[in-house]
Amino acid sequence: MIFNTFVYYLVFLLPAATIYRVVSERLRPWIIIGFGSGFFLYFAYSMAGWWGAACLAIFLWESIVSRLYRPNSRWCFWGLAQSVILLCIFKYWNFFTGLIFWHTPNPIRWGGQFLPLGISFFTFEFYHYAWDRQAGKTESGSLSEYLAFILFFPTMVAGPIKRYQDFLPKLRAKPTGWGRDWERGGTRILTGLVKKFAVADLMTAWTDHLNGRDILQAHRGTLLLWIFAYGIKIYADFSGYSDIAIGSARLFGIRVPENFDWPYGRRNIQRFWQCWHISLTRWLMDYIYIPMGGSRVVSWRIYLNLMVVMLVSGLWHGAGLNFVVWGLVHGVMLALHRFWRHWRGAASESPAAVWSSRILTFVLVNLAWAFFCMNLHDAMLFFRKLVIG
Amino acid sequence: MLTMLRVGIEWIAGERDDAPTWFFGVSGWFLRCCAWAAAIVLIYAFSGQSSKFIYIDF
Repeated sequence: MIFNTFVYYLVFLLPAATIYRVVSERLRPWIIIGFGSGFFLYFAYSMAGWWGAACLAIFLWESIVSRLYRPNSRWCFWGLAQSVILLCIFKYWNFFTGLIFWHTPNPIRWGGQFLPLGISFFTFEFYHYAWDRQAGKTESGSLSEYLAFILFFPTMVAGPIKRYQDFLPKLRAKPTGWGRDWERGGTRILTGLVKKFAVADLMTAWTDHLNGRDILQAHRGTLLLWIFAYGIKIYADFSGYSDIAIGSARLFGIRVPENFDWPYGRRNIQRFWQCWHISLTRWLMDYIYIPMGGSRVVSWRIYLNLMVVMLVSGLWHGAGLNFVVWGLVHGVMLALHRFWRHWRGAASESPAAVWSSRILTFVLVNLAWAFFCMNLHDAMLFFRKLVIG
Repeated sequence: MLTMLRVGIEWIAGERDDAPTWFFGVSGWFLRCCAWAAAIVLIYAFSGQSSKFIYIDF
């Protein structure tokens, strides 16, 4: 819940943003640290109990270790490793061990597994900082500045994924234009809430049918209606969430990266990913795709790199085989698009070509959501019913 | 035409700071108040069905 609760606005956001704007530069990071810690403790406890709240120690540990990061230092590699290990233990332990013991009951299954609040996002920011410190791309900043970066609660739970070198100058600058920031930030928050309440939640009546039992009894047209409703729902839900996060940050006078740029109106799958969850796409590009050679390698390696990146993207979205398949489907679409462009040259600019490619991209992306919102068995059943009837 | 519409929507949604030039005939404050009022009415009308955000540790 979080962003659609009064507690978030009345106890955390409005007091924190107001105090942040009136205190001295030295105290500003500590206001974020104080409210960010309180935010994490409150919501993590309400979602996962005492163990969830105790995960605040992860931030404190990371901030201590981060002081050891230097360009070309081994500590940076340790920082990268601990981010991945944290994510693997909390998010993927049962998934990976379940794959190992697929034919027997899993003897090392973690029965009380829980996800620390925002772990998928804050580990990516930890990773980014360790990597960029290692490469000498960002300054260290003070302990309080780094803690403010990782505990900045508007973006802590589900992004947008920030970059330290972008955040630091905004943290150090005196916030100005209070009235404009609050008017624009407030408008952005309201927009996000409208998307969530009046669009995303409204789609639930249709998307709730995306399960094996209902699919068996549905007609083709109904199946399409349900999956397109899910496409609208996930867009309105996550872009609405991002609007609230961006608007909340604006109340502090801090601009954070945009996450969406009309993705459903894009002409091809590559442009779609440049406009959908932009901060994640850029993270995957900078820390996986480019280090693997990006587009500066032979053709088959480029296709392999695309597949690996989308496989990681799929796994990051969820610990399940359906998410792996979802990622691979997008990897195949990206590889096919690249191959097509290489073979046929630049796309035609005629209105018919533009609109048909937009519609094709929209339909393919929405059909692929079937692997995102259902388990593998139900998703396959969905496509079997859609094709064969 | 589509670009003009997009810029207008982005401004009303709080994404852009500056109003599009074709809005200058209308009072900016009036439009902003209308947008806020409409948003509050929609939020109030639909708030009873609130569910978890999909991306919060899905």
